[in-house]
Amino acid sequence: MEYTKQEFMAVATGREIRDGELIILGVGLSMLAGYFAKLNHAPALRPFTEGGIYGATPVGGLPWGIECNRISANATSFTNAIDALGFLVASGRADNGVIGAAQVDKFGNVNTTGIWDAPPWKEGRYIPPRVRLNGSGGANDIAVGCKRYLIMASHESRRFMERVDYVSSPGYLDGGAAREKAGFVGGGPSAIISTLGILRPDPETKEFILDAYFPFTDVEEVRENTGWDLKISPEVRKVPEPTEQELANLRTVDATGSLRKKR
Amino acid sequence: MRNKLISLQEAVAAYTWDGMTYCNGAALPVGSDSIVFGVEMARQGRKDLNVICHCGSQQVNLLGAVGAIRRVEVGFSGLEVYGFAAGLNRAVTSGKTQIEDYSNGAMAMRLFGGAMNWPFVPATVNTFNDQQYCSCDEPDQYPCSKKIPLITDPFTGKQYGAFRTIRPEVAAIHVTMADIHGNAIMLGTEWNRFEMSRASEKVVLVADRIVDTDCMRQYPNLVRIIGEVVDAVVYWPFASYPQASCGLYDSDEEQMFYMNKMMKTEADTETFCQTWVHGWHTREEYQALIGREKIDKITDTATAFLLDPYRKWIKTDAEVEELEKDARG
Repeated sequence: MEYTKQEFMAVATGREIRDGELIILGVGLSMLAGYFAKLNHAPALRPFTEGGIYGATPVGGLPWGIECNRISANATSFTNAIDALGFLVASGRADNGVIGAAQVDKFGNVNTTGIWDAPPWKEGRYIPPRVRLNGSGGANDIAVGCKRYLIMASHESRRFMERVDYVSSPGYLDGGAAREKAGFVGGGPSAIISTLGILRPDPETKEFILDAYFPFTDVEEVRENTGWDLKISPEVRKVPEPTEQELANLRTVDATGSLRKKR
Repeated sequence: MRNKLISLQEAVAAYTWDGMTYCNGAALPVGSDSIVFGVEMARQGRKDLNVICHCGSQQVNLLGAVGAIRRVEVGFSGLEVYGFAAGLNRAVTSGKTQIEDYSNGAMAMRLFGGAMNWPFVPATVNTFNDQQYCSCDEPDQYPCSKKIPLITDPFTGKQYGAFRTIRPEVAAIHVTMADIHGNAIMLGTEWNRFEMSRASEKVVLVADRIVDTDCMRQYPNLVRIIGEVVDAVVYWPFASYPQASCGLYDSDEEQMFYMNKMMKTEADTETFCQTWVHGWHTREEYQALIGREKIDKITDTATAFLLDPYRKWIKTDAEVEELEKDARG
């Protein structure tokens, strides 16, 4: 069965989503993974977007954005950001969320703001980045407020870093009890799903360790593509291949084939 | 209430100035935004702007690309699946534009606080990470203690952050439809346009359609922006182009990519502006530039049915022109 790494990542992320959850979905892959889950195994999933689009499923392929007309053609409610990101997310009410990452570190802190030659934490001052990304958008709100959330990232050592250049959306901060001390209402990231495997936080240290790898790779390749000394779970396993039904459902959601065009 | 219709050119001349704090009313970078207003600001040469936006959209991308923005506070500066905002990013990485990052939720809460005329709002997000620690206004202090200072909850003794609230001098807000008095209905998610309309000192609506006030009387619950807080109304079909307007048109995929590509360099930006900023003056010329083929394509939207309940109150171009004449006296 042929599929791309991006498709596998979307299926693996979708499998992490439980039926009935109130879940906030971001743009792109996040949305595809969420709506794949709803179609595949979670019909009672309650997805919404950060601008407050409820009850909708995409039409015509991957929405260009989270307020694109492709996600606005069958909604049951349109509200606003105070409602979605405030009342439902920052309040701690949402069960789950899915965010992307340009960089992620071993404690699940995410950078989507910029790339620096001398990051602010190292330089001790804030200068313009060498490469400006997007900023956090609603991801900071999701990372702080959701009961748990999932991080999706392309697995490369320049992205999986010992310490990210800039923390746009906090995971477990410095690890251990750091997040608890910060007093965030949400529980933190429950998994990082990459293009090579699935990492989960150690219950005590909160450092992300390799829990499972995809069938087309192995533990060594995952370690080589990780910028920190990645620990391996004693029960590390191979993730089952996507079933024909899963792929068919994913491709129904990804009608324009955006994931098939990528590596 | 008076007839507030005004031409696009007059609105920008009357309600914007160099050095102002300007807020663009948007539903993220693919959806509704008062883009044509920002284009006219570029044409009239506005500069030194302090821009407030939860999302940049192609409007802030263009204003950044032409060097009009001194400082921007933003939740999300990109163009979603269309990519990073090349023009704004060029201005930021070159140091021409200072950027102050918050989250999208924070921007909505700060506008809400501004609408309430509160000095600050408690922050449970954006704290204990670099959105709190990095400030373009205090670049030499890391971690910054002034951007989102910590405060103590007087009831529990716990520590939280404090967001500075926002009171923009002017907001140009895109709406699907407005009447001549400034009552407006937005189809699709409104993002923070409701709070923005109450937080801003002056509000200009940029409406894709003008409707009779009887439409508002039929659906008063849906009128989230009220004439009482609106100063001027600009009628401009395809005001969000090349982005989308729910119920009316989809984003123009080709133009979204083309525009962003042209924002990458100063020279290409100038070429783009010759056509898309300086190459038209009227609504008719703007639509001619977009072209009939494109208009047919983007108006063939799956959301068109959302407009059905309101169609009978929509004014024709000729009717709006008469109303504009009345407004001028």
